[in-house]
Amino acid sequence: MVEDLATPEAPQTGDTDAARPTLRVQGLTKRFPGVLALDDVSLEVRGGEVLALLGENGAGKSTLIKLLAGVYRPDGGTIETGGVERHFASPADGLAAGIKVVFQEIALIEEFTVAENIFLEDHLAGRFGRVAWDEIRRRAAEIFDRAGFDIDPEVKVKDLSISQQQLVEISRALAHEAKIVIMDEPTSSLTPAEVRHLFGVIERLKAMGIAIIYVSHKLEEIFEIADTCVVLRDGKWVSTRPTAEHDHASLIKDMVGREITDLFPRSDRPLGDTVVEVRGLSTATGLSDIDFDVRAGEVVGFFGLMGAGRTELAKAIVGYDPILSGEIRIAGTQLTPHDTRRGKALGIGLLSEDRKGEGLMLEASVTRNMTLAALDKFTARGFVDAAAERAQAQSFVDRFRIKLARLDQPIGTLSGGNQQKALLSRWLMFGLRTIVLDEPTRGIDVGAKAEIFALIDELAADGFAVILMTSEMPELLGLSDRIFVLSGGRITGSFDTETATQEAILDAAIK
Amino acid sequence: MAVSDTPPRPTLAQRIMASEHGFLALVLAVLIVVLTLSADRFLTPANAVAILHQSSLVLIVAVGMTFLLITAEVDISVGASLAFGSCVVMAVMNETNSILLGTLAGVGFGAAVGGINAVVTTVLRVNSLIGTIAMMMMLQGGVYLFTREAVQNHHQLPLFPKIATGYVLGIPVPAIIAAAVAAVGMVVLARMRAGRLALAVGANPSAARLSGYSPERIKAVAFVVTGALTGLAAVILTSLLNAGQPTAGTGFELTVIAAVLLGGTSLMGGRGTILGTILAVLILKVIDNGIIQMRWNQDLQIIIPGIVLILALYMDQRRRGGAGG
Repeated sequence: MVEDLATPEAPQTGDTDAARPTLRVQGLTKRFPGVLALDDVSLEVRGGEVLALLGENGAGKSTLIKLLAGVYRPDGGTIETGGVERHFASPADGLAAGIKVVFQEIALIEEFTVAENIFLEDHLAGRFGRVAWDEIRRRAAEIFDRAGFDIDPEVKVKDLSISQQQLVEISRALAHEAKIVIMDEPTSSLTPAEVRHLFGVIERLKAMGIAIIYVSHKLEEIFEIADTCVVLRDGKWVSTRPTAEHDHASLIKDMVGREITDLFPRSDRPLGDTVVEVRGLSTATGLSDIDFDVRAGEVVGFFGLMGAGRTELAKAIVGYDPILSGEIRIAGTQLTPHDTRRGKALGIGLLSEDRKGEGLMLEASVTRNMTLAALDKFTARGFVDAAAERAQAQSFVDRFRIKLARLDQPIGTLSGGNQQKALLSRWLMFGLRTIVLDEPTRGIDVGAKAEIFALIDELAADGFAVILMTSEMPELLGLSDRIFVLSGGRITGSFDTETATQEAILDAAIK
Repeated sequence: MAVSDTPPRPTLAQRIMASEHGFLALVLAVLIVVLTLSADRFLTPANAVAILHQSSLVLIVAVGMTFLLITAEVDISVGASLAFGSCVVMAVMNETNSILLGTLAGVGFGAAVGGINAVVTTVLRVNSLIGTIAMMMMLQGGVYLFTREAVQNHHQLPLFPKIATGYVLGIPVPAIIAAAVAAVGMVVLARMRAGRLALAVGANPSAARLSGYSPERIKAVAFVVTGALTGLAAVILTSLLNAGQPTAGTGFELTVIAAVLLGGTSLMGGRGTILGTILAVLILKVIDNGIIQMRWNQDLQIIIPGIVLILALYMDQRRRGGAGG
């Protein structure tokens, strides 16, 4: 496939010599406090090649891209373009070295025209220090012509669709004569027709001798567009193989890889009555036509990749968000949407994925954080019985082995795992029967994770209905009795845990 | 720090600085001592009464404003509402010849203004800073549609002015009312469910909502309470002036908000105490009075509180940020 690119019209500057990689990354390492986000990763990409970068959430793809873009600075390893080692202090340096990243969040200035955005970094100065608008427009039109884009350079960016804005970003790469274009999940907000168009653009970039790094979760796209697949997992390099040597199963296996350990106790959980019934639920937050039931004593897991609708579903069924259509019944009674007071009265509550933003009152004491939902239990004639409140908080601190110095210390001073246990106590103290856990172990160390897994099992054995939202495959398979897979706001698969395979689940998640 | 075998006992000064209200109490004490020594008419019964009268009006509204700021909202319209309210009080008394109905009208007017502020903020979702500035403009204009000049006490109800100028056990009546309001506020904030919920909504509105409470409802109550207390202050002001005064209350909202912030309530919500507010009101009013007693330029009455506010918030931040360091 490398031969095709040596066509005469490919601009040959010497750097895009087929023998030498356009980009070579060796031993790239990036450390954040407490995490090794990228660990000794190497890869090469040549002009006219599309390299797919694959991995689960947290595999290190974004970190790698940001290192290549000059957003982060590496802790180890080298980046070479055109055979020269590069050190990026800022994204401008990345661009100067010929690397252009088209991020998911497009970084254009909405109020400027297309042409102005393309030449944002280097306003071509005309005579008397004026900006050479005519020149800018002419050159923008020339780039569109060369790349075959149908965009008016005079239009303001805010009037373009997302896919057109992507093309403007790509045009910026062409204007800077970039040799490497990196696309981060470029199809996540495109329609199928726009995806086809983008693939056409990618073919044209290939023909121009540009190297492309393509990041996506959607395996169908990878098989269609990529020449080579590089898989990362937990920040480490796993495999580099031509796409032709992969099939779905082998690719997913490389991505998921690890064996599920027995972190997950499973007590005898007698099934009770149906507690949660959701029918035809659609919301403005992107859910459409969701149906499912949950029985007491059951852990039902929802798996989905980023943006699949997990958090949206969690917030809809506890009455946090409004809904467009459908019905939610808790213990046989209809839940009033957008009314958490009603949801709480029916015994359903959410442990948010966003601990700081939606869970904790950081400056308030541990006690006050724990008793927030159950405040009425300690209240008589409007007065809060502080002694009873403290006693109850202490009993939960003992039960969950929450590590703290004093009950009245600010909760912000506890570790993530202890904070999470305190927030779980908030609901258990109130006496919920149905709990929705959204990414309950995010940002928590392994020890606390195991304790929370054991607690979830205990709750189900006690007859709780547990709805678990997660993007962690081991957690999903280890805890759930039944599994639903979300993708694009819809349920795209349902499984019994005994018969579910990681491959089948991931397959449904990228539908 | 734990290395030395005898940990240094914090000095008195350090302990005062570290306590929630010690610093404010210290400032107030120093001000009183200095003014007593330098202005011979400062520590006289007449002057003490003047300070208490002045402080009472501010404190009554500041108690409500403390709750409102704790829920992370603010009400700029209290000054304009005070002026309009006083005209309403006097007009209703003239109409009905009843002190009770006039008082109810004043409190009701304030509560209604607070109710509208609540709707604008929680239903229309207009930022309360902007919404209540708009309300202030409407009230300032509206009061002139209502009356061009001060509303006099037509019936010459002799009892009415005595409410505010009277004494019980040697204490001015407005000070007793303000003390009662502050005491209730203190109990509600520190001991009652309502106070807890106000703190929770300010600290993290999403957490409060997920825990099954309505932040909008809690904020709405704080707006209405602030409005009603402004109405109560309007009744006392009317009684003091024995007239409804459309030009009263200019800058009143700034004094109230400055006092609440000086008292340690967070503009971001979730933190605040009534005791802090009380101390801060007294500090601002003693400074005010001191400037008059010292026969300084009266413009300093506005300038100095501004400086005090910045200094106080700066020290507060240092205390919170640099505890132990």
